[in-house]
Amino acid sequence: MDLQALWGLLLTGLMRGSVYALMAVGLSLIFGVMNVPQFAHGEFYMLGAYVAYFTFHKFGLNPLLTIIVAALSGFLAGALMEKAVLFPLHRRQKEQWVMNTFLLTVGISFVMQNGAQALWGSNYLGITHYWQGSIQLTKDMAIPFDRAISFIIAIVAILAFWLFLGRTRMGRAIRAAAQDETGAMLVGIDLDRVRTLTFALGAMLAAIAGASLLSMNPAHPTMGREPLYKSWVVVIVGGLGNIGAAIPAGFLVGMLETLTSYFLGASWQNVVSLSIIIVILLFKPNGIFASEVKGIWER
Amino acid sequence: MVSKAICFFGPIVIGFAVLAAGPLLIRDEYLLNLMVVSLYFGTQAMAFDFTAGFIGIINFGFAAFLGLGAYISALLAVKLGISPWLGIWCGATGAGLLGWLTGMLTLRLRGIFAAVMAWFVGLTLLALAAALVPLTRGYLGLNVPLFLDTSSRRPFFYILLSITAFTYIVLRGTTGSRIGLAFRAIGQNMEVARASGVDPRKYRVLNFALSCFFSGLLGGFYAHFIGILTPDIMDTKHTVEVLALAYVGGRGSLWGGLLAAFLIIPLFEYLKPLFEIRLVIYGLLLICFVIFCPGGLAALLRRRGVWRR
Repeated sequence: MDLQALWGLLLTGLMRGSVYALMAVGLSLIFGVMNVPQFAHGEFYMLGAYVAYFTFHKFGLNPLLTIIVAALSGFLAGALMEKAVLFPLHRRQKEQWVMNTFLLTVGISFVMQNGAQALWGSNYLGITHYWQGSIQLTKDMAIPFDRAISFIIAIVAILAFWLFLGRTRMGRAIRAAAQDETGAMLVGIDLDRVRTLTFALGAMLAAIAGASLLSMNPAHPTMGREPLYKSWVVVIVGGLGNIGAAIPAGFLVGMLETLTSYFLGASWQNVVSLSIIIVILLFKPNGIFASEVKGIWER
Repeated sequence: MVSKAICFFGPIVIGFAVLAAGPLLIRDEYLLNLMVVSLYFGTQAMAFDFTAGFIGIINFGFAAFLGLGAYISALLAVKLGISPWLGIWCGATGAGLLGWLTGMLTLRLRGIFAAVMAWFVGLTLLALAAALVPLTRGYLGLNVPLFLDTSSRRPFFYILLSITAFTYIVLRGTTGSRIGLAFRAIGQNMEVARASGVDPRKYRVLNFALSCFFSGLLGGFYAHFIGILTPDIMDTKHTVEVLALAYVGGRGSLWGGLLAAFLIIPLFEYLKPLFEIRLVIYGLLLICFVIFCPGGLAALLRRRGVWRR
């Protein structure tokens, strides 16, 4: 194996990993703050892709604007779902919360997936490219612009999100709620608002991922299944509820998958990478980057 | 004492009697097929509820354990010529053993971890069944010999009904005994259960393995009923279907899932012209039940005094 192939693998792994990290951060945030094992995450990814397809292909908007529109619609859909479905349950009953909300998100996923199929059919709706051309790295290695830009978008989105959590008042409120709900309530944080915002933000990150990858993964009702379980893998590997850990874990899983698919072929890739992950988790059940701070679900 | 016992088991005995008598009156093969499918999903919901409703753990790899049982039984019949009647028990044992192993490794931790790990094990099994093309023929499909060489669905219904009765008796017997008490204690509050001397890991593993055993048994039935097997049988969406039935039926009731299956599956068959809309309704139904009626149909019936238990 020569050096160039190695570089190629490294780049592919990085790009794959950036999307995993983007998806997983949202999932991890929702679990960390709301204690909801989100199963409809892939459906927000799908929504982002569909919205991007219609704004870009039908209305011919600028690619960047397209992705912003998709992000906003993901945010709105997330907020709507939280208010319509999770909030009523929270009002009525807090027992067996993890299991009940899991079922609710399964229901949401079912409704959104089949709703998309009813509305837009089961055809693949894709575009050939957002930006034409590619970056010539060496003589016979080139990365399409779309790939490079989706990587940059993922990194920028994660960074912006990180700054939001660390630097703004609302972001700090979210982190406070993740650490201790009662304490957050005592210092006057409006928990209902934090919860809605959290769910909407998580959905938005998934929608950004779906929109920015549209030229590689065309919009399709069941397109969200793969990203869903990949982001769950990342979150579990990183450590449940540890929001920051999802980022290195995303790159780790992306790398692992790229390597296994290069050496073993696509059909064995899932078997081997999942087996490796299961073995890792048997030795480090709380994730590689497990934090000492206990999450709310453990107390 | 006797009247109490009648109150206790009466409805179930009547239910099984009606189920057993049904196919004698029905001549229509289409309806018979619908009954087999409903019973198949209802029994799955029962085995699923045994874990989810009693120890509070969602076995998210349920369909994969079922598929493992199906593949073991089918491959034994295809490659070694072992009779399906024996093969389904081997399949069930295989699924039960893997369930036991998964449980041993994951159930010392909190519930969500076990659920997700069971899911990963299931996804691995699915990928394995798809990748092992020389053995399983992957998505091309494996042709499996049937139980009986007949075009009628009636005998298959009775085979399945005996499996269902066996499943119910074993699961009901377990939950009604001291072991069942331990299950409930763990499901309600693990710390308190531990403090009263119940070893959560032992009981959770036992529960998980039993549930997987029965899912494997049902998988074996499916293989020799349908006659063709693809890795699709292990897909997560089938777990979701069973999960929805179990919850609409009522968690912790066992029979609720069976009732829900006989209500919902024929109804959805009838709504078939609506295509995707009916699946949207399915999702909405699940959401409504979780929010407004978390006990499911079983709780509704109990509240009306139809069935006190």
